[in-house]
Amino acid sequence: MIKSLCAIFSVCVLLAGAVLFEALYVGRAFDDFSAELVSLNEKTEEERANYEDARAVQVSWEARKERLQVFLPHNDVSRVDNVLAETVRLVAEGEYTAALPKLEVLIHLAATFPNTYRPTLANIF
Amino acid sequence: MVLVVIRTAIIFAVLLVVMRLMGKRQIGEMQPFELVITLLIAELACIPMADTSIPLLYGIVSVLAIFVLHEAVTLLDLKVKPLKGILSGKPAVVINKNGIDDYQLKKNNLDVSDLIESLRSAGYFSLDAIDYALYESNGTFSALPKQDYERKQTSLPLVIVDNGTFNGKNIALTGLRRSFFVDLLRGQGIRKEKRVLVLTADGEGKIYLQEKGKKFTTFRVQYPDGRTW
Repeated sequence: MIKSLCAIFSVCVLLAGAVLFEALYVGRAFDDFSAELVSLNEKTEEERANYEDARAVQVSWEARKERLQVFLPHNDVSRVDNVLAETVRLVAEGEYTAALPKLEVLIHLAATFPNTYRPTLANIF
Repeated sequence: MVLVVIRTAIIFAVLLVVMRLMGKRQIGEMQPFELVITLLIAELACIPMADTSIPLLYGIVSVLAIFVLHEAVTLLDLKVKPLKGILSGKPAVVINKNGIDDYQLKKNNLDVSDLIESLRSAGYFSLDAIDYALYESNGTFSALPKQDYERKQTSLPLVIVDNGTFNGKNIALTGLRRSFFVDLLRGQGIRKEKRVLVLTADGEGKIYLQEKGKKFTTFRVQYPDGRTW
């Protein structure tokens, strides 16, 4: 019985730790990504953004993505990948009007993504 | 990740309830919660393994959640007696001194033919050779035979009426007419076969008859033309 209780306790602690780490890590990763996107969005609105700015956001996301894929379904992560790649191309070509809606989508994804993994009734069922 | 743990726990609970409701027929030598775990573990391990878009961590977390649930249910099963009946079920005594307990059979989603099949698998061919028979909580079948049970099963009994319905195939095997058994029932004061839970006839003329809700009787008859099987 003691062995069983110890096993239950150990695994529960492990799971709780993993859950807490995931919540904090994913939350912070998307907060940082969101801040970078907002900055790029402001520059794009002012038509000051260039390829290097957009590419910097993309490189930063790719570094983050490597670790995020441990916690998040890869299909969800690749949605951000696709929209970001389009945005980089549009900004590089100076098509700011077309880039702005893409950036809006990315900002929305970054803001709502962590919520889709929270234990709410809608997410559970 | 916390979603995976919660979802695993919900599916575990739902499967456990469904397995318990399905009765003894669905379980084979495992407690209901063990069967649920066996069903879940295979799927949980396979999905992240085969689908590369799902993080492997999801599989590991759900298997660990199952482990915790298994250990917790095992502990409750061992230490809390009232919960043992709820989690694992109770043995169902389906044959007693009065014969077949139809209520217990129905409660476990079984019928007379299932019971007779289980009896035959256990080596007992005659219903009157058994004092008690029961389905254990894990679905296995146990029977306590009468002392002289071997003398009672000298010929293969065929089920003639099963839960109020004549079995035409078995009547054909006896080589007798249906009217013979209708008359036999009338002789016992039974006008409609619907009232009969089970009637078996063996090759030496031994009849086992049980009306629904009544105690069984056995008697001997002579088949026409000295027929036997």
